[in-house]
Amino acid sequence: MAAQSVGATTLPGPGTLAPRRPPRPQRQLRVKQGRAGLGMTAPFLALFAMFFVAPLIYSIVLSLRSPLTNAFTGLLNYRTVFSNGEYWSGVVRMGYFGAVQVTVMIGLAIILALFLDSPYCRGRKFFALVYFLPYAVPGVIAAIQWGFLLEPDLDSALNVPHRLGLAAGPMTPLDYRLSLYAIMLIVTWEFTGYNMTILLTSLTNVPHQVLEAAKVDGCSELAIATRIKLPLIRRTIVFIVILSVIGTLQLFNEPVILNEIASIGNSFTPNQIIYNTAFSFGNEQLAAAQSVVLAVITIVATVAFFGLVRRKMDPFSATRGR
Amino acid sequence: MTATVARRRSTVARHRSPAQGSGGHFAQRAKATVGTAALLVVAVYVIAPIYWLVVASSKNASQLFSTSTFLPPAQLNWVSNLRSLFSYNSGDFKWWFLNSVIYAVTTATFATAVSTLAGYGLAKYRFRLRRAVFGLVLGALLVPATALVVPLFLLEHDVHLTNTYQGVILPLMVYPFGVYFMSIFSADAVPDTLIDSCRIDGAGEFRTFWRIGRPILMPGMVTLFLLSFIGTWNNYFLPLVLLGTETRFPLTVGLGAWASDLSLAGAGQPLYPEVIIGSLVSVLPMLILFPFLQKYVARGLTLGAIAGE
Repeated sequence: MAAQSVGATTLPGPGTLAPRRPPRPQRQLRVKQGRAGLGMTAPFLALFAMFFVAPLIYSIVLSLRSPLTNAFTGLLNYRTVFSNGEYWSGVVRMGYFGAVQVTVMIGLAIILALFLDSPYCRGRKFFALVYFLPYAVPGVIAAIQWGFLLEPDLDSALNVPHRLGLAAGPMTPLDYRLSLYAIMLIVTWEFTGYNMTILLTSLTNVPHQVLEAAKVDGCSELAIATRIKLPLIRRTIVFIVILSVIGTLQLFNEPVILNEIASIGNSFTPNQIIYNTAFSFGNEQLAAAQSVVLAVITIVATVAFFGLVRRKMDPFSATRGR
Repeated sequence: MTATVARRRSTVARHRSPAQGSGGHFAQRAKATVGTAALLVVAVYVIAPIYWLVVASSKNASQLFSTSTFLPPAQLNWVSNLRSLFSYNSGDFKWWFLNSVIYAVTTATFATAVSTLAGYGLAKYRFRLRRAVFGLVLGALLVPATALVVPLFLLEHDVHLTNTYQGVILPLMVYPFGVYFMSIFSADAVPDTLIDSCRIDGAGEFRTFWRIGRPILMPGMVTLFLLSFIGTWNNYFLPLVLLGTETRFPLTVGLGAWASDLSLAGAGQPLYPEVIIGSLVSVLPMLILFPFLQKYVARGLTLGAIAGE
C-alpha cells in the first residue's frame, strides 16, 4: 500500500516514538481509499445481507415459533427434530452413504489422477476431458439417464442374466433395498471426474525437481506416485473430501428424480424431509428447525474433519525427507 | 506451466530408457497397455449414459421398450421427437430452455460483476470492516446452500418475490466463493505499483479498477462466469421451491415435472421420448462447448482447492 510505504519512511529515530498515525495528508488519502474499497464490496454486502444473512436469521427466528400459533415456543421444534426418527434415519443414511460413496469416489479419483499424471499414460488429454464431462450434466438429467438405464423395462441389458438362466428375474437396481446404491452409482458418475480434475491440476504443481531427484535415485513410478505425489497433494484431497461430505449431506436432486421415475420413496435424505415438512405438511417452523440442524451438522462435520486431519498435515514433510 | 513440466518429464524418461534395456522397455509397455485399458473401462462408465441419451432420443415410445438399449433403431425418429418435444403441452419446453438461458446468463453476469468488484476491493484496499467482511465470506462458504432454500422461500413469499425471475436470480447472485476466488486472483494478478501509478496520474479508484484491474482480471472473470453459469443451469432445488408457474420453470424443474408424470402413467406412456430428447437438448450445448471451456472451469475449481488449504 502506498500510504503504508510512505508511513514507513517516518521510522522512529533514536529515542523518539513512532507517530501512531501517519501525518494528515496521508491519512486522508488512506480514508479515501478505504472508502473506495468498502464501496466496491457494498453491492455484494447488500445482496449478501438480503439473500443470505436475512434468510439465515429468519430461519432461526422461525424455528423458535410454534407451528400451530406461530407464538414463541423456545426450543420445542428442536425437541421435535431430535425425536424425529425419520429425520435422523435420513441423516444416518447420508452418513453411511458418505462413508461408502465418498471413499469409493475419492479413491477412484486419486487413482485416475495419479495414472493420468504418470508417463505410462497415453491419451491424457482425451481421458481428462471425458472424465470431466459429467460436470456439465445437471444432477436432474444424470438421474433421468441413470433412472432409465437402471429400469429393466427400458434397459434390455438388465434382462440378460435372466435370459441366460443366471437369475430368477430381471435385475432391479432401483428396488428399495438397492436404491441407495443406485444413487451412489449416479453421484459417483457425476463427481469422480470433477474431483479428479482438481487433483490433476494440483499434481501439475508438484515441483519437477522433486520428481527428477526421485528418478535419479532410482525410484519407480509407482513409488513416485504413492510416496511423493500423494503426500504432496493431500491438502487437496482433504479439501475435496470435505466438499464431498457437504454435498452428500445436501443430497436432493437425484433421489427426488429417481422417486419420480421408480418410486424409491420421498424421505431418503434430510433435504427431502425438510422439503416435505415445509411444502407437503405446511409446517414451516419445523422445517426451519430441521434446516438449522442440518446446517449445524454440516458445519460441525466439516470443522471436525478438518481439525482431525489438520494436525497430521505438514506441507513440507515429503520434501524434507525423513 | 503444465506443458513445461510435461516436457521436462518426458526428457527425463528418454534419458533413462537406454540404461534400462529391452526387458524394462517391454514391462513399461505392458504396464502402459494395462493402464490404458483400465482408463478405457472407466471412460465407458462415463460415456455410456451420454451415448445412451443420444441413441435413445432417436427412438419413439414403442421402440424404447422393444429395441436393444444401446443400439440405434432401424428407423430414426429424432425429427418427430423434437417436434413433439417443442409442441407438447402448448410448447412449454421452449420456455424452459429460454428461461434457463435467462437465469444462467443474468445470474452469471451479475454474480461475476459483483464478486469481482468485491474481491478486488478486499484484496487491494485496507478499510475498517475489511477483516469482518472477509470473515463473513469465509463463514458463508461453510453454510450449506440448501439450508437457506426453505427460509428464502418464506422470506420471498412475504415480499412477493416468489414465482418471479428476479426471485431466482437475486439469491444466486450472492456468490461467496466468487468473492473469495477474486480476492486471491486480484492479490496475485494486479500489482500494487500499477494501481499507485494510476493514482499518481490522477485517476480515481473506480476508474483505476475499470482501466487497470478489470482487463487484468478478465481470465478470472471468465472462469467465474462459467462456474456460475453451470451452477445456475444445473440448479434444481432453488427454482423448484421458488417457482410455481410452469412457463417460468428452467429446464431442470420442467423435466423433473415431466418425469413425475411418467410414474403416474404406466410404461409405454408417450412422454418417455420427450423426457429423453428434452434431456439431450438440455445438455448438448454445454457438452459441445466443454472442450473449449474445460481449462477455465478446471482453473476455478483448482484455485478453490488451493485456497481451501
